Amino acid sequence: MNKIKILHMYADMLDLYGDSGNMEIISYRCKMRGIECEIHKYSIDSEMPDFSAYDLIYIGGGADLEQQHISEDLVKCREGIETAYKNGTFLFLICGGYQLMGKYYRDADGVEIPGLGLFDYYTIAEPDRRKRCIGNVVIRTEICGKSVDVAGFENHGGQTHGVETPLGEVLYGHGNRTKSSHEGYFEKNVIATYMHGPCLAKNPEISDYIICYCLNRNSGTAVELTALDDTLEKDCRQVMIDRLLKN
Amino acid sequence: MNSILIIIGKITVAVLRLFKRNAGNLPGIVLWHLTRGKCCKMFKVDCPIIAITGTNGKTSVTNCIAQLFEQNGKKIIINKEGNNLDTGICSLLLRHCTIGGKVDADYLIFETDESHVPVVYSQLKLETLVVLNFFRDQLDRNGEMETLIQKINGFCKTFEGNLILNGDDPNTARLGRANEKNSNVKYFHAQPYAFATKTIFEASEGRFCPFCGEPLEYEYYQYSHIGKFTCNKCGFGNYSPYITAENIDLEKSVFTADGHTYSPKLNSIYNIYNMTAVAAAAKLYDIPEKVTDNVISNYTINNGRMETFMLGDRKATLNLAKNPVGANMTLRVMNEMQTEKELLFVLNDNIADGLDVSWIWDINFSVFDRVTRVVTSGTRAYDIAVRIKCSGYPAEKITVRPDLDEAVAELAKTEGRKFVIANYTAVQPTRSALKRYSDSHGGNNE
Repeated sequence: MNKIKILHMYADMLDLYGDSGNMEIISYRCKMRGIECEIHKYSIDSEMPDFSAYDLIYIGGGADLEQQHISEDLVKCREGIETAYKNGTFLFLICGGYQLMGKYYRDADGVEIPGLGLFDYYTIAEPDRRKRCIGNVVIRTEICGKSVDVAGFENHGGQTHGVETPLGEVLYGHGNRTKSSHEGYFEKNVIATYMHGPCLAKNPEISDYIICYCLNRNSGTAVELTALDDTLEKDCRQVMIDRLLKN
Repeated sequence: MNSILIIIGKITVAVLRLFKRNAGNLPGIVLWHLTRGKCCKMFKVDCPIIAITGTNGKTSVTNCIAQLFEQNGKKIIINKEGNNLDTGICSLLLRHCTIGGKVDADYLIFETDESHVPVVYSQLKLETLVVLNFFRDQLDRNGEMETLIQKINGFCKTFEGNLILNGDDPNTARLGRANEKNSNVKYFHAQPYAFATKTIFEASEGRFCPFCGEPLEYEYYQYSHIGKFTCNKCGFGNYSPYITAENIDLEKSVFTADGHTYSPKLNSIYNIYNMTAVAAAAKLYDIPEKVTDNVISNYTINNGRMETFMLGDRKATLNLAKNPVGANMTLRVMNEMQTEKELLFVLNDNIADGLDVSWIWDINFSVFDRVTRVVTSGTRAYDIAVRIKCSGYPAEKITVRPDLDEAVAELAKTEGRKFVIANYTAVQPTRSALKRYSDSHGGNNE
């Protein structure tokens, strides 16, 4: 069946720098191809969902305060999310969502928020709140079977350590830590990144990687996606990459 | 020591003027370094200071409050050029003080950047603080919004002066609880207008009670998260308003406050809130009703805020949008008009805009009604094009023209009503481009 089921977690609390736009983009790209895209929302006090019933779980980023608010609730979802992930549900995680799937997040005041521990990385916020990794970012990723340069916007105080399989190599900007060489975390069914913007706005290859994964997971066969006209998106990205890398 | 600093500052002002440079900020920066960040401390101010802060509407409200006093015969000092950081205020005072640092005026009226309220008014004694609203704006420059509110909240904890707050904005109204001992907290409020909604219409903040974390209940939303809210658990939002805007009619452009009917020239719900804040200040300072009426009824602005241009025989309305709320406002005005129209969106990402443009994803373009064509321009022309496309608007109706003159020509080539949205650093170049088009193709600006 040509359908993707998505669970968007904490949409009302974790939505920085256009993060909810990622859902708009995924559903737009599905709609253009006649793929049904059903998005459910989960937040604090929602009824506990069957996480494994979803093809994609999406979590955006938020300020420290919001992250503290949701972390207790997120711990309750641990088993469900872990099982879903092991069953092949795709996890798409931005910024705070990325951090909270690791071992822990220690905020600028030294308060430790436990993560779900799905992955081995951990994050320590820069104690000086003014020293944040802020700005445009360009990374080179190989996830789409070929080398693609993608662009986004980062703004994080958190320094993420212990990533073995990053999403890509940093060409411009900071990445996982101040001036680091790599950005994000990647597994075949996990994309975790600090890229806002929203992340998918000018990176159609990443959107299609996620959509393609979700579809193939359902059908069990290798479905090819219909190509869309991405001229605007690619021009948009090229203008930024040219500007950033040529200076 | 103070006198030496002031002399240095005054010399800096004089030298800059000699070379015909704007002395709006640099003298303050010089003194900021010399005083290790306390550049406002050396002034002796005996008169009351009124500060206006918030994300949107600061400039309008500051100008109007200044006019209240000016038209009432008082001598005022105001930071008109929008130099609203500590260094800007310092530069302004340098021009108006004696060598001893004494500032001679009846009232000082300062638009103050949200993040600089604690900085400036830990050095100068503040009598009244007006807080208009808090929206997401240039987050990457100011840090996250919560941090910003916390900063001002910290200041309010020990502040005992008048606090005039937008009671319909939970982000702002919460400051009223910062200092329980302060009996001078006053809220302004507005009754629902014709386009108020029962459910939230535009992306927003402040959905949860800042005191107990419960979701806030809204009787109505005026726009974004501004509306009549209460927390059912702790009672946050239950206050008696100091002043209320009632009988708001945007078609006739009238509203009533404290029994008096005003007819502002700018007829948007945003302006009604701004003018209600002005009316609150007028009430507090016993300004004669005639003066207040004159200020509120005549206030208008020609700086890209709902400004009209004629492109040949085609009417274009330009509006500044620094954030989603501002952009959604123009979309609202567009939709409230029952004809076909075209939109030019100019988006820059210069430093003053905040380098990040992702706020455009919080604009609700899905409400587009009878918009027949979109042109995009600015340094991030493609970003806004992609955003509008992904809202479901047909890509073939979007034209990208990064060059502004080309964009205006593209917009003007078809018939019909035009709207132009430009962000902060884009607004002046856009005005210039629109004027150039009018000059070469006819059409007098109104």
